[in-house]
Amino acid sequence: MVKTALQQDRIDIAGIMANIGGSSDGAVVSFIGRARDNSGDRQVLHLEYEAYGEMARKQLQAIADDAAARWSLSSCTVVHRYGRVEIGEASIIIAASSPHRKEAFRAVEYIIDTIKERVPIWKKEFFSDGSVWVNGHT
Amino acid sequence: MKIKIKAFANVKEAFGFDEKDLTVSDGITVREVIEQFKTICEPLNEFNGSLLYAVNEAYCPESTVLMDEDTLAIFPPVSGG
Repeated sequence: MVKTALQQDRIDIAGIMANIGGSSDGAVVSFIGRARDNSGDRQVLHLEYEAYGEMARKQLQAIADDAAARWSLSSCTVVHRYGRVEIGEASIIIAASSPHRKEAFRAVEYIIDTIKERVPIWKKEFFSDGSVWVNGHT
Repeated sequence: MKIKIKAFANVKEAFGFDEKDLTVSDGITVREVIEQFKTICEPLNEFNGSLLYAVNEAYCPESTVLMDEDTLAIFPPVSGG
């Protein structure tokens, strides 16, 4: 089962992890991306994510569906936030389950790499004296 | 014909709008729309070929020919995650 979401609310990490996979899965692999308090030598106060909502939702679903098919995942959940994200909060979670670990590891890495390449979401870092858009993958 | 433009992140800031309806000539390409914007929006020139385009929520090349009622989104390289 593949589930994806783009949401403003905080991510319910415990709830997602409690519900991923089933009794035939020997592996659950997750990646959590969190808002970091620094960028180079500057202190970051919070982040804001802007998304092209309709397109980003389609892309998230397509990438997760693709990964689930390629690595025969039994389940896969991807949640990305938009709007303001405080330091230490999760901006994204990817969780995948499979009978054996290798497939789940590969799928999760593929999903985060592909999201960073393709999904129309942009990150802005806020400092005490201003803000900058983070340069994306080109 | 009429098209809708959507802009995001620093492209939105360069344009000064996030959405706009435009009347354009039939058969216009994405590249031609961008060239027209560059003449009225100087900061857009700073993106030098890094801009990305989507028509009706699917990525497309600059050579894409637009159709009536299309939505053209213009944005910088993505930085989610």
